Amino acid sequence: MKVSRRLSILLLSALAVLLASILLFLYLKSRSDQTVTYTESRDLIRQIKQQDSLWENEILKARVAITHNYDPLVSPLGEMTRLWQKFDSIEAQNQRNDSPLWRNAHDGYLNAIKEKTRLVEQFKSHNSVLRNSLAFLPTAEDDIQQALARMADADKLQLQNIATDTYDLLLSSLEFAQVTSDDRAADILVGLNKLAVNKERLPTELHGLIDTLSNHVELILREQPKVNRLLEEIEVVPVDERLDDITVLLNRDQQQAETVDQQYHFYLLLFSALLVLLLIWLGIRLIRSFAEINQMNRALVAANDELEQRVEERTRQLKDTQSELLDTARQAGMAEIATNVLHNVGNVLNSVNISADLVSRKLRNSKAQGLGKAMQLINEHKEDLGSFLTEDAKGKLLPGYLNQLVEAIDLEQQGMTEELNQLSKSVDHIKDIVATQQSYAGASSLLEPLSISELLEDALRMNSGALTRHHVTVLKDYADVPRIMGDKHRLLLILINLISNAKYAMSDLSNQTRNMTLAAAVVDGETLQISVRDEGEGIAPENMTRIFAHGFTTRKEGHGFGLHSCALAAIEMNGHLTAHSDGPGKGALFVLQIPLIPAEGES
Amino acid sequence: MSSLALLLSTGLLFAPGAAAAPLEGPLKPLPAVPVLDSKRVELGRRLFNDPRLSVNNSLSCASCHRLDKGGADTVPHSLGFDGKPVAVNTPSVFNASLNFHQFWDGRVETLEDQAHIVVQSPSEMGSDWKVVVQRIADDPAYRTAFADAYPDAVTQSNIQGALADYERTLLSANSRFDQYLAGNTEILDIEEKYGYQRFQEYGCIACHQGVNIGGNMFQKFGVLGDYFAARGNPTEADLGRFNVTGEEEDRYVFKVPSLRNVAVTAPYFHDGSQATLEGAVAVMFKYQLGRTPSEEDKRLIVKFLKTLTGEWEGKPL
Repeated sequence: MKVSRRLSILLLSALAVLLASILLFLYLKSRSDQTVTYTESRDLIRQIKQQDSLWENEILKARVAITHNYDPLVSPLGEMTRLWQKFDSIEAQNQRNDSPLWRNAHDGYLNAIKEKTRLVEQFKSHNSVLRNSLAFLPTAEDDIQQALARMADADKLQLQNIATDTYDLLLSSLEFAQVTSDDRAADILVGLNKLAVNKERLPTELHGLIDTLSNHVELILREQPKVNRLLEEIEVVPVDERLDDITVLLNRDQQQAETVDQQYHFYLLLFSALLVLLLIWLGIRLIRSFAEINQMNRALVAANDELEQRVEERTRQLKDTQSELLDTARQAGMAEIATNVLHNVGNVLNSVNISADLVSRKLRNSKAQGLGKAMQLINEHKEDLGSFLTEDAKGKLLPGYLNQLVEAIDLEQQGMTEELNQLSKSVDHIKDIVATQQSYAGASSLLEPLSISELLEDALRMNSGALTRHHVTVLKDYADVPRIMGDKHRLLLILINLISNAKYAMSDLSNQTRNMTLAAAVVDGETLQISVRDEGEGIAPENMTRIFAHGFTTRKEGHGFGLHSCALAAIEMNGHLTAHSDGPGKGALFVLQIPLIPAEGES
Repeated sequence: MSSLALLLSTGLLFAPGAAAAPLEGPLKPLPAVPVLDSKRVELGRRLFNDPRLSVNNSLSCASCHRLDKGGADTVPHSLGFDGKPVAVNTPSVFNASLNFHQFWDGRVETLEDQAHIVVQSPSEMGSDWKVVVQRIADDPAYRTAFADAYPDAVTQSNIQGALADYERTLLSANSRFDQYLAGNTEILDIEEKYGYQRFQEYGCIACHQGVNIGGNMFQKFGVLGDYFAARGNPTEADLGRFNVTGEEEDRYVFKVPSLRNVAVTAPYFHDGSQATLEGAVAVMFKYQLGRTPSEEDKRLIVKFLKTLTGEWEGKPL
C-alpha cells in the first residue's frame, strides 16, 4: 500500500515535470530571441540609412554652398560606424558570419561605405576649393575691372574689349558652375586664352590680378567637373542597396524564424489546449470528489449530532435516574434513621411503661388504706376514746399500728418518687432522641464546627438500641482530632450507615463476641480519617468493586443504596470512602477520608 | 497664473543682455570636456608621461606633446627615440580628439590607433606592445590601478584606451574666440573682429571651419601653386595621404590642421617650414587661396588667429 502510494506520487511528479518541460521547450522554441535582435538589427539598419541620407543631404548642402561647416559631413560617418559596430556585434552573436550570403552582404556594405567615404573625402577637398574660387571670382573680376577703370591714359576701346572679355569669362565660369558642359568648358578655355592675350597688352602691375583670376577660373574649370563627377559617383555608391540587401536577408531569416516560431506557437497552442482539457477534467474530478467529501462530511456531522443528542438524552435520563435514586436513598436513609429513632424511643418507652406500671401498682397496694381502717375504729369509740385507747385490746394496739403505717407510707412514697424520677429520665431520653433525629433530618450541606468525638457519639446513640439488642461491643479508638468544619448531616449519614452495616455484618456471629471498632485520626495533617471496623462476614473479593454501586446489596431486605449514597456523600465532601476486607469471614474495614478543615478560631 | 507668466516674460524682456545668444557661423565653439572614467583618465595621464612606452625609455608622449608648449614642441622635427628627427612636424595633442583623422596624412581615425602607431613607429618610440605591456604590468602601482579601472587589467588595448581617454580630456577651453562665439562679443577688439571677417572673406574658412577650425577634411597642399617645387628638398612625407592610399589623387594631400592654439604651436606645416604665424599665413594665401592680400589684412588675420589660443588648467597656453 505504502510502496504503491510512493510509486504513484513518483510517477505523478515525473509526469508533471515532463509536461512542464515540454511546455517550457515549446515556449522557448516559439520565442527565439532572433525576433528581439531582428527588431533591434532592423532598427540599427534603419538608423544607418537615416545617417546615410543625412550625410547625402549635408553633401548637397555643401555642394550648393549653403554651409561652410564640414563637421556635419564627418559626424554621420562616425555615427554610421558606431551603429554598424553595434549591429555587427549583435549579428555576430547570432552566428551570421557563417553564412556566405550574409558575408557577402556584410562585406558589400563595408566596401560601399569605404568607397563612399573615399569619394566624400575627395568631394570635401575639391568642393571646398571650388566653392572658395567661385565665391572669390566676382571679386577677382571686380579687382581687374577697377584696375582697368583706373587706367585713364590707355586705349578706351581696347580697355572696353578687355573688360568685356573678362566679364564674359566670369559669366561663362559662373554658368559653367551651374551647367557643366564641354561647350562651356571650351568657352572658358577661349576666355582664358583671350585673357592671356589681353594680359600682354596690359601693364605689368595688372598681371598679378589677371593671373589670380585665370588661376581661379582654371581651378573652376578643373574642379567643377571633378566635383560633379564625384557627386555622381557618390550618388551611385550602393550603400543604400547594400543596406537593403542586409534588410532583405534579415527579413528572410526573420520569416524563416517566424515560420518556425509559428509552428511552435501552434504546437504550444495545441499542447496548452490539451493541458487545459486535462486541467478541466481534473477540476471536474476534484469538484466531484469534493462534493462527495462534503456529502460524507454532512452525513458524519448529522450522525454526530444525532449521537450527541442521544448521549445528551441518555445523560439526562441517567441524571434523572440518579437524582431519583438519590431521593430514594435519602428517603431510605431517613427511614433508617427513623427506624433507629423509633427503636430507641420504643426501648425507652418500655422503661417508661414499667415505671408507670410500678407506680400505679404501688399506688394500688398503698398502705394508706390501713389509715382509713384505723380512723374507723377511732370514730366508733368517739365518746370513750381515751379508755378505748387505754383499755380495749384493739384500742391499745392502735397507736403502734399507726406508727407502723407512717413508716410504711414513708417508704412507699420514697419508692414512688424514685420510680417517677426514672420515668422522667426516660421521657427526657426520648426527647433527646427525637431532638437528635430532628437536627439531622434536614439535607443541609452547611459546614459547621464539629467535634468528631461528639459526632461519633451521636451516631452511636442513634444506633444504640440496635447495638444493645445485638450485643455489639463498641471499641473506641479516637485520636486527638481538633474541631473541624464539616457537613454534619452527611458525616452522620455515612457513620450511621457504616455502623448499621457493621452491626448487620456481625448478626450471624453466634458464638463469639461482636466487636466494632470506631477510629478517628488525622493523616498527614490534612486529611481526616474515620474508620469503622467489624469482625463480621467480610466482603468477597468479587464484590469488592461492586459494593459502592447502585442497588448492590448482600442483604435480603437491603435496598443497595446505603453505601452508594455514602460514597456519593463522601465525594460531595471532596473525600472518598474505601472498603477493605481480607475475604469472607474475615471482617471488613470502611475508611472515610475527607479534607481536614480545622474550625475557625481553633487549630 | 497668466499674470505671473506675463511678469516672467516681462522680466525676460528687460533682462540685461549679458546672456547673449551664441553666434552662428562656420566656426563652432569648443565642446565641453566629456565625462569619462576618472580612473582611466588618470591612468592615461601617467602613461602619457611615461617614457617606458619607448623602446629605450627615452621618450614619453609628453616629450614631444608638451602641454606647456601648446601640446607640441618648438622644433620643426621632434627627435625620435634614437635621436633622429621624425618625418613630420609634431601636431598639438590639444583638441586632437576633435580631428576626424589623426596624423598629417590622416592614416588612422582614432586616438587609440594613433597611440598604437606612435609606440610601434621605428622612428618615434620604436617599441613593441609586448614589451610595453610587460613593462607596465611589472609596475605594481600600474597593475593595481589597471585592475581597478579595467576588468581585464593591463592589456595593449587598455593602455591605448587610457591614453586616448586622457587625450579626450585635453581640450583647450575658454579661448577668447570661444567666449566671443558664446555671445560675449566684447571680448574681441575691433581689429580681431575684422580679422575674423577677413578670415571668412578670403576663404580660409573653406578648409578651416567647424568645431576645431580645421581637422575635418583633407586638402591638397598647393591648390593654386606648386608648394613643394618652390620649397625644394622633397621628402617621402611630402606625398601626404598618397603614402596611405597610394592614389594619385591623394598626392600632396594632408589633413587640414586645426587652427586652435595656432599662435603657440610654431613652427608650422607638416614640414615645420614656417617659424612664424605671419609666414604661415603668407604661404596659405599663396598656395591655397591663390590670393594676394594686403599687409593690413594679413595683420588682422594674424590678430584674429591669436584669439584662438585656449587655456589649460586655468592658464592660457
